[in-house]
Amino acid sequence: MEAASADMEINGDQKTLHRKQSLYQPLQYSQIYFTRLHHMRTILHSLVHLWKPHLPDDPVNTVLGLEQGKECVIVGTIYKHMKLKPSILEEYSKERSAGPLVRPHNFMHSDDPLVLEDESGRVKGSGGRGDPSIFVTGVVAGLHGKETGEGDFLVLDVLEAGLAPQAPIPPGLREDKYVVLVSGLSVGSSASNPLQFQLLVDHLTGHLGDEKEQSIASQIVRLVIAGNSVELPQGLLAGQNLASKDQSKLFEPIKELDILLTQLAVAMPVDIMPGLNDPANFALPQQPLHRCLFPGASAYNTFTSCTNPHSFELDNIRFLGTSGQNIDDLAKYSDATETLDFMGRTLRWRHLAPTAPNTLGCYPFTDRDPFLIESCPHVYFVGNQKNYETRVIKGSEGQSVRLISIPKFSETGIAVMVPKRHQAPTKTKTKGAHSIRLRSQLSEWGNHQAQDR
Amino acid sequence: MSSGKRRPSTASTPTPNPPKRFQSNTNRQQQQQPPPPPPKPSSMAEEEEEMMDEDVFLEETLLLQEEERNEAFSTRLSKWKRPSLSHSYLSLSQPIVFQQLEIDYVIGESHKELLPSSSGAAAILRIFGVTSEGHSVCCRVHGFEPYFYISCPQGMGPDDISRFHQTLEARMRESNRSSNVLRFVKRIEMLHKRSIMYYQQQQSHPFLKVVVALPTMVASCRGILERGIQIDGLGFKSFITYESNVLFALRFMIDCNIVGGNWIEIPVGKCKRAVKNISYCQLELDCLYSELISHAPEGQFSKMAPFRILSFDIECAGRKGLFPEPSHDPVIQVANLVTLQGEDHPLIRNVMTLKSCSPIVGVDVMSFETEKDVLLAWRDFIREIDPDVIIGYNICKFDLPYLIERAEALKIADFPILGRIRNSRVRVRDTTFSSRQYGVRESKEVTIEGRVQFDLLQVMQRDYKLSSYSLNSVSAHFLSEQKEDVHHSIISDLQNGNPETRRRLAVYCLKDAYLPQRLLDKLMFMYNYVEMARVTGVPISFLLSRGQSIKVLSQLLRKAKQKNLVIPNVKGQGSGQDTFEGATVLEAKAGFYEKPIATLDFASLYPSIMMAYNLCYCTLVLPEDVCKLNLPPECINKTPSGETFVKSDLQKGVLPEILEELLAARKRAKADLKEAKDPFEKAVLDGRQLALKISANSVYGFTGATVAQLPCLEISSSVTSYGRQMIEHTKKLVEEKFTTTGGYDYNAQVVYGDTDSVMVQFGVSNVAAAMTLGREAAEYISNTFTKPIKLEFEKVYYPYLLISKKRYAGLLWTNPDKFDKMDTKGIETVRRDNCLLVKNLVTECLNKILIDRDIPGAVQHVKNIISDLLMNRMDLSLLVITKGLTKTGDDYAVKAAHVELAERMRKRDAATAPNVGDRVPYVIIKAAKGAKAYEKSEDPIYVLENNIPIDPQYYLENQISKPLLRIFEPILKNASKELLHGSHTRAVSISTPSNSGIMKFAKKQLTCIGCKALLSDKDQTLCPHCKGREAELYCRTVANVSELEMLFGRLWTQCQECQGSLHQDVLCTSRDCPIFYRRKKAQKDMAEAKVQLDRWKF
Repeated sequence: MEAASADMEINGDQKTLHRKQSLYQPLQYSQIYFTRLHHMRTILHSLVHLWKPHLPDDPVNTVLGLEQGKECVIVGTIYKHMKLKPSILEEYSKERSAGPLVRPHNFMHSDDPLVLEDESGRVKGSGGRGDPSIFVTGVVAGLHGKETGEGDFLVLDVLEAGLAPQAPIPPGLREDKYVVLVSGLSVGSSASNPLQFQLLVDHLTGHLGDEKEQSIASQIVRLVIAGNSVELPQGLLAGQNLASKDQSKLFEPIKELDILLTQLAVAMPVDIMPGLNDPANFALPQQPLHRCLFPGASAYNTFTSCTNPHSFELDNIRFLGTSGQNIDDLAKYSDATETLDFMGRTLRWRHLAPTAPNTLGCYPFTDRDPFLIESCPHVYFVGNQKNYETRVIKGSEGQSVRLISIPKFSETGIAVMVPKRHQAPTKTKTKGAHSIRLRSQLSEWGNHQAQDR
Repeated sequence: MSSGKRRPSTASTPTPNPPKRFQSNTNRQQQQQPPPPPPKPSSMAEEEEEMMDEDVFLEETLLLQEEERNEAFSTRLSKWKRPSLSHSYLSLSQPIVFQQLEIDYVIGESHKELLPSSSGAAAILRIFGVTSEGHSVCCRVHGFEPYFYISCPQGMGPDDISRFHQTLEARMRESNRSSNVLRFVKRIEMLHKRSIMYYQQQQSHPFLKVVVALPTMVASCRGILERGIQIDGLGFKSFITYESNVLFALRFMIDCNIVGGNWIEIPVGKCKRAVKNISYCQLELDCLYSELISHAPEGQFSKMAPFRILSFDIECAGRKGLFPEPSHDPVIQVANLVTLQGEDHPLIRNVMTLKSCSPIVGVDVMSFETEKDVLLAWRDFIREIDPDVIIGYNICKFDLPYLIERAEALKIADFPILGRIRNSRVRVRDTTFSSRQYGVRESKEVTIEGRVQFDLLQVMQRDYKLSSYSLNSVSAHFLSEQKEDVHHSIISDLQNGNPETRRRLAVYCLKDAYLPQRLLDKLMFMYNYVEMARVTGVPISFLLSRGQSIKVLSQLLRKAKQKNLVIPNVKGQGSGQDTFEGATVLEAKAGFYEKPIATLDFASLYPSIMMAYNLCYCTLVLPEDVCKLNLPPECINKTPSGETFVKSDLQKGVLPEILEELLAARKRAKADLKEAKDPFEKAVLDGRQLALKISANSVYGFTGATVAQLPCLEISSSVTSYGRQMIEHTKKLVEEKFTTTGGYDYNAQVVYGDTDSVMVQFGVSNVAAAMTLGREAAEYISNTFTKPIKLEFEKVYYPYLLISKKRYAGLLWTNPDKFDKMDTKGIETVRRDNCLLVKNLVTECLNKILIDRDIPGAVQHVKNIISDLLMNRMDLSLLVITKGLTKTGDDYAVKAAHVELAERMRKRDAATAPNVGDRVPYVIIKAAKGAKAYEKSEDPIYVLENNIPIDPQYYLENQISKPLLRIFEPILKNASKELLHGSHTRAVSISTPSNSGIMKFAKKQLTCIGCKALLSDKDQTLCPHCKGREAELYCRTVANVSELEMLFGRLWTQCQECQGSLHQDVLCTSRDCPIFYRRKKAQKDMAEAKVQLDRWKF
């Protein structure tokens, strides 16, 4: 794995070691929050001065030390108290309602208050600033304001950490290289079309298209599959021993995926990340998909099964991405107009998955928080989204990050190609397994490329 | 009676070395200590304890000088003082109008200015209340005298009265020799009254009103008269006494038309300011009882004064393995929350801690070095804040007695002055409250003068039937809020830690003070109880400390007074075994009805019957009188049970009149409720209509309670006999009229009839049609009844599963478009000695049968669950059975599972073993053949940790089979065979315990994940045979891990949520919480699954 980065601690092998904890040592989530707060506080403290220069020398306070009416800054973990958030206790206490259950996609309520917590205690935020619809539980931020008579904290302003420092892009990259991002192949689901996937494979391996396209295909240096590659029939896994016909049913999609992956792995390096529906564990960071699932593809050393989130470097350009759970969870507990807004927020909060462990499954780490973003990637991608979107965001210190939201391939037929030099991606569409349409779309892609240049 | 004498608390013994200034007092106490009241035979205590007045003697001397307290502390407190009095209040130039909350009395010197003619000791009533501005008022009312009636013996003329007076006086002096009262019987008057019992043609008879000096003398005088007395010229005579068992305060309220919680006005110039204040109230006044104006709770006087409600909770540091005892274990924290009635936010939140404690946002943390300081600080706090109502959870039985006993143990003599009277100490006594309705409860009665105690635990136990009454589960039920439950063994550790850990404890303690207030607000208890007091006319404190009958008695006395009737004091007749035929129910035709069942309900059936047939004490004609009085037949009603009552044109009954008023008032309240806009007004009105309804329904019970004040079985058996007749009548009419021959499409069939409802299947298959027919039937049948008995159509059940008498389930429809809810009766969904599995299973089956209409699905669900149970895949928390440990093992006559377990756990580890008072959770495990049931109980945690197999057969046979069969028998043939003995019960899996003897000799060897074949090579995962199935087996392992991880995350984040902190470890050990075992198990399972997964080398 040439590009496993050291500072993002999502290296698979290390994790396996770490998870061999004693059976009886109670694992809890408080440690993660504690380390997160500890790490972020140092960063935020150093920023307070620039942010509020008019405040006296040491304006930073703890929740405990708040004095009524005195303006100050408190740094802590945000906790958003949400009425509508589903609770496991409801299984026990709630009677089944008369009407059909409508599960909302978003659990926000207009009265959800923001609470700020540090090791010492909690205080409820009030006042116009600090829009609760943006923030989620688990974000570490600084609040500027004062305590009111009722014991609330009147929020005047909110400080986010902002983009993390970024390594400079080495100059002088001559040749064009492309990284292809795809997600949601969902082999085995009703939405997936085997022909469409085959077209993508042929396209990427240079078996389709005209000369120009083929030359572009030849410049692909890596394919990243960002989660949800297969969809296994539900219910088969839970029961007892399977009858042999069910075994094959279960195995079929995986086998199909393996065949196509083998074709790809022959032609280019392939990174496969696990996603929510894949046969992998649930809690983040998800462990790599096991090699035994891909007997064909794993024979090639170009095939890498990696963790989710996944981070790698190519020619010193850093890529960071997830299979989408972190952003999907944000969408349930906060508001934004498009996926990229969520992505931008996670970068500014310097945390890949702030809602873990609160609403997003997460391994109870005791010594670190693996989702902290300590250095800013150059390309940040998220899989299994509704639409293809991209944008560049800039940081205060000249950081520049290309955000990419990768749609589900099985539904849209879109894969994203990122030219490494400019990191401005184009989408490649293979929707409608029709070679002519595909051709026209390919030329469209060519045009985009021209524009990018 | 000299001043300075007091009745001590019976629970407190004088301290061996009391401080000097208490010395004289203590000596007197010892002299005056009355013998403890003899224990009442429990068989007699059927409805409630006998009402007893307790004379408390006023202390005039002020014993205490205010101690010099820490100045900072007192300024802190003074911030929260009540608003200061305006000039017009100070000069008494405006009338004093206040809402009274508590009325009691003391014995003191009669007021020289107000009552110049009398002298000596007299009962002085004290009314405590709050003005609309929030000033506290203590009004001392003078001149009201205790009295009762006796019927005047024939031949006694006005001249004989003075002789009788002297005789009685002499007898009284004889039996109260120790007392130095000047005159016992003040006077005897002759009046014309009539007894409420039985119909009498004469309008009145002569009665004697015996006025005595002090309230307690009523009882002793009554005793003398009932036993009999020798009167010159008349011979030996024993008397029936009338209204001799009415508590003095209640007597006063009745005579002055005061009802509980109403507004009282003292006009300008009619009261005197106290010369020296003996209470902590802002306004302290003396006046004559005749000057008081009592306002009916209407219009502006229906609102509530802004009284102060204190909610508090204490924490004690118990020793390891023992429940805290006041003689050993210190009180370490007291959390307080003060709210003004009607406000959303608390006025004050503070916590007093022993040893330093880190600050808490929005909470005033006060730390003290010694326990004495904590207790005294709390006392000063109470005094300064001056709460009108004290609430909390289990305060009456635990918190308050603990504080007082602890102060005694620490010899803080001036702690228990918590009431509103300056030098009066809190009195504690043990009480047993028993009633047919609520069962026997031992409690402590803590008298805090002038402050109403409102223990939410008592309220919950009275008003709701719940499976558990822990604060945790009550809050979860009503507020959907769980609280962190810190085991008392951890409390000491937290206390002995640092300011941070003590802060942790303080937050916990605050939450315990906060939840009762939330419950009070959410369930509108303040409004409902004040309205109940207003409707029934008893003081608010009676509502919790006494049974139902006092409420009816109060109304009866009031009404009787208006009508010049007197109520005899009838001793409870009998053993409580006199029963009469109760309400019968029509036979239930068990089955699953897939056509709509219309329900015809009698609206307030029993009250209506009493009104319709004029049933009352005063309309009952004795059998011997029936002929004697020669009543015309058109003037009497003969009830189906054979009693005779006169009709209302001859004599209107008192009970029917009370009922009419109650129901009319309810109608009014409901109409006003519709009009009302203001939320507070709404709350008051809703509370009122509810109180009116409950009161109307309790009148019947009052006549039937054999050991109550005035039982009259003739009335109650008549009521039920009419009720039965009506149900039968309805059934007959429905089945006669709604037939195909009568022009309807189907023959109607009555499938079941309960006390006041009849279920009819009209045969139509849609809900709307059933509703139309239901309405028609209700109207048709109502017309055949005497008014105001009315049959109403309210709801349709569709589908309807009728199991047996009083057991049914169905979907309830009140409009034809959408069902309202699932309604179940008598089906195991809440019983507390069942495990959760039963409840879940029953609920799910009913859902499937009734809502989804999927009977095969329900059957399949049962089979799956049974299979899961047998295959050891059941969530352990669903199997936990919980029982309260009420006494130690030796005291139980028979061996009980939970007691045995507690004993075994104590042997394992005394520190964490359950103690008396704890609830013991257990599961039933597999044990050797022939083991007794009580030997098979085991601690769930121990089971989890050691992989001990549970006994699925026990659960199958003793827990789930009965309820299941009940549901399925009407639906399935061979339900038992199908559900409990099908092929799904063949596969059984039992886990191997990790601590059993044989395992010590077993060698662990890895097996193939696929087929359990032994593997020789440690690095292998699969045997050669299973190699080909790698992907499948891996998927299965990983799916298992994935599921567990998801569960783990959800469970533990929920605990963080309850705990209210992200950065601190979860400590909660609430075994009442349904997820407690699950999260433990998830923790363990996840670790194990991980090991399995790790065998798949990457």
